[in-house]
Amino acid sequence: MLSDVLNPDLFASAIRVATPLALAAIGGTICERSGVVNIALEGMMLVGAFFGTAATLALQGTSIGPLAAVWIGLATAVATGALFSLIHAFASIDLRMEQVVSGTALNILALGLTGFLMESFYGHPGSTDAVRETLPQVFNFPVAAAGSGLLGTVWTWINTLLFSHSPIAYMAIAIAVIGQWALYRTRWGVRLRALGEHPRAADTVGINVRRGRYAAVVISGALAGLAGANLALEQVGTFTENMTNGRGFIALAANIFGRWTPVGSYLASLLFGFTDALQIKLQLVSSAIKVPPQFFLMLPYVLTVVVLAGVMGRAVAPAAVGKPYEKE
Amino acid sequence: MKKNVRTFLVALMVFAMVAVVVAGCAPAPTTTSTPTTAKPKLKTAMVTDVGGLGDKSFNDLSYEGLKRAQKDFGVEIKVLESKEQADYERNLTNLANAGYSPIFAVGFLMTDAVSKVSTTFPKTQFGGIDEFFDKAPANAAGLVFKEQEASYLAGVLAGLAVKDTTIDPKIKNNNTIGFVGGLDVPVIERFRAGFVQGVKSVNPDAKVVAVYAGSFNDQAKGKELGLSLINQGASIIFPVAGATGLGTIQAAKEKGALIIGVDQDQFLSVPDAKDIMLTSVVKRVDEAVYQTIKNELDGKFAGGTNTSFGLKEGGVALAPYHNFDSKIPQSIKDKVDAAKKAIIDGKVTVKDSLK
Repeated sequence: MLSDVLNPDLFASAIRVATPLALAAIGGTICERSGVVNIALEGMMLVGAFFGTAATLALQGTSIGPLAAVWIGLATAVATGALFSLIHAFASIDLRMEQVVSGTALNILALGLTGFLMESFYGHPGSTDAVRETLPQVFNFPVAAAGSGLLGTVWTWINTLLFSHSPIAYMAIAIAVIGQWALYRTRWGVRLRALGEHPRAADTVGINVRRGRYAAVVISGALAGLAGANLALEQVGTFTENMTNGRGFIALAANIFGRWTPVGSYLASLLFGFTDALQIKLQLVSSAIKVPPQFFLMLPYVLTVVVLAGVMGRAVAPAAVGKPYEKE
Repeated sequence: MKKNVRTFLVALMVFAMVAVVVAGCAPAPTTTSTPTTAKPKLKTAMVTDVGGLGDKSFNDLSYEGLKRAQKDFGVEIKVLESKEQADYERNLTNLANAGYSPIFAVGFLMTDAVSKVSTTFPKTQFGGIDEFFDKAPANAAGLVFKEQEASYLAGVLAGLAVKDTTIDPKIKNNNTIGFVGGLDVPVIERFRAGFVQGVKSVNPDAKVVAVYAGSFNDQAKGKELGLSLINQGASIIFPVAGATGLGTIQAAKEKGALIIGVDQDQFLSVPDAKDIMLTSVVKRVDEAVYQTIKNELDGKFAGGTNTSFGLKEGGVALAPYHNFDSKIPQSIKDKVDAAKKAIIDGKVTVKDSLK
């Protein structure tokens, strides 16, 4: 029974569940480090997922073929996520609107917009047709390459854990590492953090606050769009209304739990992904131990609350986060 | 001056957002038919559950029933979509005020709203899809389905097919069958209870592993659940989870498992899953809606009662085997048919709960 729960698929599943959360969370990190709160991650994911799917569906029948179409769909998702985030940037940086209000408005807008466009593009609400090809698995090593026995078991673990994923899962890990490096080891990173801690000081030494914050918001939109592409084009191959199901908000929590760092955000998402994967495995064996499914479904959220309530100690937000900057 | 420009821009943005949101929430287009009779035309309407039209499930099916009645009887029809549970009462009240009757409320979550609104409008008839009224008002009819009966047949099929590797190479001879539920609620339990009972009636040793997604529209979660079940050895999976189930179907397509569809013939509604769709447990919500409108026209509306639609009434059924028709051995088909006859004749009673 233990092997039904504790097997390589548990960890592979954790990585799959964590990927969209991590991408959005890293987007949130970069945005908030620049001093702009972004609770519109959910909406940006949804918009990216929709347009990515729409582009793929439109192009897969043409001469470029379904595989090229899905890659173009991925690029479209990133681009539309970034474009959509411009509204948030404009509202919170130029108009100095309350950023939580702007973010909430964008989330509602995304839900309404994708639902409305769904009707006008496809004539029905609900789900789109499935794209012909989803983003393919990167590596395809034979499962039984090392035969049976101990070596075979070790190979199964390595193969499932490391080599069973599709491209965006690897991109998310790379983005976390590169983001961490950029934030702490480059001039851009120092400047970005200065914007979120003390924009006036940054301005005094000649950093363009407006431009820096715009860039950060757009990057977060692009990453949220990529997260949407992961859900729609890599995991399931269709767009469904409200398919993000609150993942943008979990990502926001993961960003805080990860203490506003890219690698921290990834690890926090991974912990959430792991509990979610674990609850599925526990459900599989629960018929033997008679526990209602609601108990397991609750676990990832309980963990989020417990973690945010301070098990990890106090996390300090960037000092100027949420505060519009007005040049004197 | 600069401030004025800013105020204007804010106003413009707010306006644009509101415009799009309102457009997105607008009720589905009303369809009206040309009058065919001289007497005042019957106006009938439905309120969808939050899944809305396009769920390829009970909301769409109810709409099918309305459209068929429109075609056959020339009645006027209208649909209001609920975006959240708070919309139920408002939508029902609006339709009642506009003179629609009967009004169909789709989904068991609307039961309380129907009880309340039907008391306020005693002259309007209400039909509650999937709604069972403990004390039905005289102008409300509960229309419920014996999902367990058709699920039992699917269980008989799955229980026998899971041991027959000649049907499809995806069947992995380890006697494991999967079930994916949306939420752990009574209607899903009826599907599961009937299915399990059906499996056990022909294959007592089979393992039916059930998991729940906690949502009816989370495809990514549905896929993870499907992958886990397949990893666990399940070669036939029965997802009863709305759009979440589409994710499970995707998992089965990628990792190789067979699917039993739900609510409508998913061989037709999910065309890319044709090669893995063994059959579907069909719930003829359209039939219940159509029959109720017909009864109303005949002056036989069954208010104040709950009507159950089972195998006998044609309210639930097993869809054709389609691509698997030639692969499923006649002996299995015969057993499924025998089980159907036994249920209709009352020789087998299918339980509606797991207890």
